[in-house]
Amino acid sequence: MGHHGHGDKSRPSKKIKFASKEEYRASTADDDHYYPEEGGDDFRDGEREGKKMDFTKLELKPDHGNRPLWACADGRIFLETFSPLYKQAYDFLIAIAEPVCRPESMHEYNLTPHSLYAAVSVGLETETIIAVLSKLSKTKLPKEMIDFIHASTANYGKVKLVLKKNRYFIESPFPEVLKRLLADEAIGKARISSEGMHGKDGFTVSKPVNEIEGGHDELINEVDVAAAAEEKETHSFEIDPAQVENVKQRCLPNALNYPMMEEYDFRNDTVNPDLDMELKPQAQPRPYQEKSLSKMFGNGRARSGIIVLPCGAGKSLVGVSAASRIKKSCLCLATNAVSVDQWAFQFKLWSTIREEQICRFTSDSKERFRGNVGVVVTTYNMVAFGGKRSEESEKIIEEIRNREWGLLLMDEVHVVPAHMFRKVISITKSHCKLGLTATLVREDERITDLNFLIGPKLYEANWLDLVKGGFIANVQCAEVWCPMTKEFFAEYLKKENSKKRQALYVMNPNKFRACEFLIRFHEQQRGDKIIVFADNLFALTEYAMKLRKPMIYGATSHVERTKILEAFKTSKEVNTIFLSKVGDNSIDIPEANVIIQISSHAGSRRQEAQRLGRILRAKGKHQDRMAGGKEEYNAFFYSLVSTDTQEMYYSTKRQQFLIDQGYSFKVITSLPPSDSGSELSYHRLDEQLQLLGKVLSAGDDAVGLEQLDEDADDVALQKARRYVGSMSAMSGAKGMVYMEYNSGKKGLIKNKPKDPTKRHQLFKKRFG
Amino acid sequence: MVNAVKGLYLSCDIPMAQFIINMNASLPQSQKFIIHVLDNTHLFVRSDMAGMIRSAISDFRDANTYEKPA
Repeated sequence: MGHHGHGDKSRPSKKIKFASKEEYRASTADDDHYYPEEGGDDFRDGEREGKKMDFTKLELKPDHGNRPLWACADGRIFLETFSPLYKQAYDFLIAIAEPVCRPESMHEYNLTPHSLYAAVSVGLETETIIAVLSKLSKTKLPKEMIDFIHASTANYGKVKLVLKKNRYFIESPFPEVLKRLLADEAIGKARISSEGMHGKDGFTVSKPVNEIEGGHDELINEVDVAAAAEEKETHSFEIDPAQVENVKQRCLPNALNYPMMEEYDFRNDTVNPDLDMELKPQAQPRPYQEKSLSKMFGNGRARSGIIVLPCGAGKSLVGVSAASRIKKSCLCLATNAVSVDQWAFQFKLWSTIREEQICRFTSDSKERFRGNVGVVVTTYNMVAFGGKRSEESEKIIEEIRNREWGLLLMDEVHVVPAHMFRKVISITKSHCKLGLTATLVREDERITDLNFLIGPKLYEANWLDLVKGGFIANVQCAEVWCPMTKEFFAEYLKKENSKKRQALYVMNPNKFRACEFLIRFHEQQRGDKIIVFADNLFALTEYAMKLRKPMIYGATSHVERTKILEAFKTSKEVNTIFLSKVGDNSIDIPEANVIIQISSHAGSRRQEAQRLGRILRAKGKHQDRMAGGKEEYNAFFYSLVSTDTQEMYYSTKRQQFLIDQGYSFKVITSLPPSDSGSELSYHRLDEQLQLLGKVLSAGDDAVGLEQLDEDADDVALQKARRYVGSMSAMSGAKGMVYMEYNSGKKGLIKNKPKDPTKRHQLFKKRFG
Repeated sequence: MVNAVKGLYLSCDIPMAQFIINMNASLPQSQKFIIHVLDNTHLFVRSDMAGMIRSAISDFRDANTYEKPA
């Protein structure tokens, strides 16, 4: 994908469409982008150039009022959320199309090859997609759209790779497709013929298990197709396990173009021992959690794929439920040691798994489970680490390699670099892969990789629906505009201070005062629990010291962290904590309901969403949270922005993802109010000037961004230099992952990675 | 002896005044256009510079404004 500004969800850029086949192949050769772009979407070019918005040709059906959506020739679909059919139409659309923007009354979706691939893989057939779509549409379905669906789904989902009793089978309801595959030399060789090559086709024929408990059945009759699709006979042949990777390769779009879906028939797996774990009775999956699980287990087998739920909506329960259904050994991968602990805790909380059957594998705790079946929770970099390990870790990793995992559960899949995935997936033998994430946005446009490495997106929840249902907090988002003071802005404008710009706009005294005001207001008036986020370590420490609040950043020890978080959770005295970006993901702070963001990583939409996610976990009584309840807004998200600086640019960009989920940002311009002020810090000019002096005299290194190296394997730290930062990228914390590619704009600063050891030293000295 | 200079009276907010002062400072002596800095929000400048100041401010603001790609 070109590094153009817009997200993965928008339509493929023109560049790709115009690329010749040769170029396309060249780009797939380094296997970065497997995705087939050829075929079917040419019609979109015309739309782009000329008749963009002209829909006069669309033919309205006489009873259009009863139908909920508009389907346009360019692949866009608009859904009226006030339609009585909204729920059904939503369930259907989310299965076949990418959500582009979902405000309150009207949603926009986009049909893409990805989304149709996902649709086919959860069991929808081409003809059904078209039939249901045309039934729901107010207008006659444009021919272009029908053609596009045909072209995109022609080959997807026709072939499945199934692991049964440790034998790999290639399965398809279409014997002619299997014949075509076998005509390929590599696949032909990989075939293992069991009984008589001389039979007609020699394929094994079987009737499948009955489809679906509860999945699509709330949908309008016609939508309930998945069942129909599965009633056909399936034909299959066996392949050599050693050749699986090869065969998969041959089936990719740049070769035979029959991408294989993987399913795990776990109920009939008698080779791998069962894990005796059930969900506890009090673990009641919510409707949307059930729905996402039903997409995964639709036909009695486990499909690989990705489930997208907002933070706080209970992703871990989905993960634990999936593991309890499969009931085989499970490898759970998280991004850092803290979330490893949390996952282990969630497993024990929701399921009946026994203490000795679950173990954590991090650089701090190297546990091994006894017996032949269990759950291992570890981090991506512990598994993918390529260097020399300690003897103990080597043993554990050997066990991980040799075991056959029923489920590979992957948390926060959007942060992990593709090469890591490839490595993790090639090291671990797993029957089924489930990826979990809150934000399927990556600033590096690498989402397509996930489709092939893990599987298609199985389900994506609508944020606003969850808010309405009271499942996640109703957040008031606000952008607080803080004018730069005269002196700070004068320095900001100077060329020689270009490296200090960020520090200058973050340390803007007006911003500090707004922050202090908000903290006081929420602590004293509402008794809230507040997290203040600052990416800039200099600002983090200055703010925290001045306001006498505890802070956590990369170099804070595990013990210290735990202590601070515990105090924040339980103590009436500690109501505000300052977090660097270590708090973006995974640190679980369910008590907090206010976020104040004083600095952030450039224009990262993902970071914005992740931070909002810290307060999405619903608190209080359920009925109070419902629309019209006592407390309509029970959480607050403030982003403090210094006006007339680059921060304005970043801030708007960061909000895009949340705006697309239907959130709106309220702009607040006069904080602190003009009648207050002297009780806040930096009221006097001389104090402000002193602060300015401090910012200017700090080294460029000190005022830059924090680099995190947390949770590398114990030996890995020494090798960090050779990998230059890829270690921290694994924790999802490094700049590369968020890197901006919007080079067209003037005035963007690229943050060069700096030597972290230097900086940590400095702060260690200062804060012991 | 009274010395009269024809000029333009500019009124703006504090940061923009700083922006214009900074712009003025970066120019060679012959092109400097600020005649007097009156206070934090008022400047007296050469009357022929209005267009240039306007476009410089507009460029600066554009650079700080994010537009969603179409």
